Amino acid sequence: MRHFLNCKDCFGLLMDYLENSLDSETQKKLDQHFAACPPCLNFLESYRDCSKMAQQLRDQQVEIPKELENRLKTFLQEQM
Amino acid sequence: MQGHFPVGKVFCILVVRRREMKTKELEQQRIIQGLKDADSEVIDEFIQQFSRPLFGVILNYTKNPPDAEEILQDTLLRVIRKIDTFRQESDIWPWMKRIAINNSIMWLRKRRASRGREIQLEEFAPTFSEDGHLHGSLFRWSVDPEDVILNAELASQLYEAIQSLPFEYRVPLVLRDTEGYPIKQIASLLGLKESTAKTRIHRGRLAVRRKLADYLEGRG
Repeated sequence: MRHFLNCKDCFGLLMDYLENSLDSETQKKLDQHFAACPPCLNFLESYRDCSKMAQQLRDQQVEIPKELENRLKTFLQEQM
Repeated sequence: MQGHFPVGKVFCILVVRRREMKTKELEQQRIIQGLKDADSEVIDEFIQQFSRPLFGVILNYTKNPPDAEEILQDTLLRVIRKIDTFRQESDIWPWMKRIAINNSIMWLRKRRASRGREIQLEEFAPTFSEDGHLHGSLFRWSVDPEDVILNAELASQLYEAIQSLPFEYRVPLVLRDTEGYPIKQIASLLGLKESTAKTRIHRGRLAVRRKLADYLEGRG
């Protein structure tokens, strides 16, 4: 690993960086790069925001038509 | 706050405010006993209470409502048939959700014939100069990720962006980002190497990021 990482190097390690699966030295180099490079920091934050937003969709409620509910009832009663 | 999503022929409503899915202990005991006894009133109640959230979970994987209906039927039946194996001291919702997710994945793996197209990294990755510097200026998004709960339009954009991914990318991304599964478990569930699962999640995120960037930065 080179002493300094450029933007492309950091992009290639982004996933591992966010999974905390890099060795501490490399993780630190990425921290330093993001602290000094606003475009990369903006990219990192927007990429991370997408994951956080997707988390908000957990246990979403979906309306289902009454007919579907009735079909499910009939199906299960038949199977029991 | 609600967002409206035309999904195939069925018009579904995604309630963005997440529902607390923890079931009260006494209520849970009653449902479990009723399912064991094949009590038809309890089965009807069980369908009313759990078919909507389970349908929401399943649609994340299949996205096609007729397919989701088939998987939902099978999931409800499996839950009833496996109810004796459920550990009563735990909450029933995560257990049912796991059955729904496993069922959706099994269903998708059987239908590998309808593979989506491959997402190439270059399509959604930023561009770099020859010396490896990021090209162009990137906007800082003025959005709090938790705003998705309050902002139906943003939720709709996000939902559409995820749903538009080919399933090879959508499924690992939903498992990682929405459900919080570890990479190792995702790889095992999908029969992939961990490195492949990671690549697909990464490319899926890049594609979702680009679509949201188009919306949030006014380029769409």
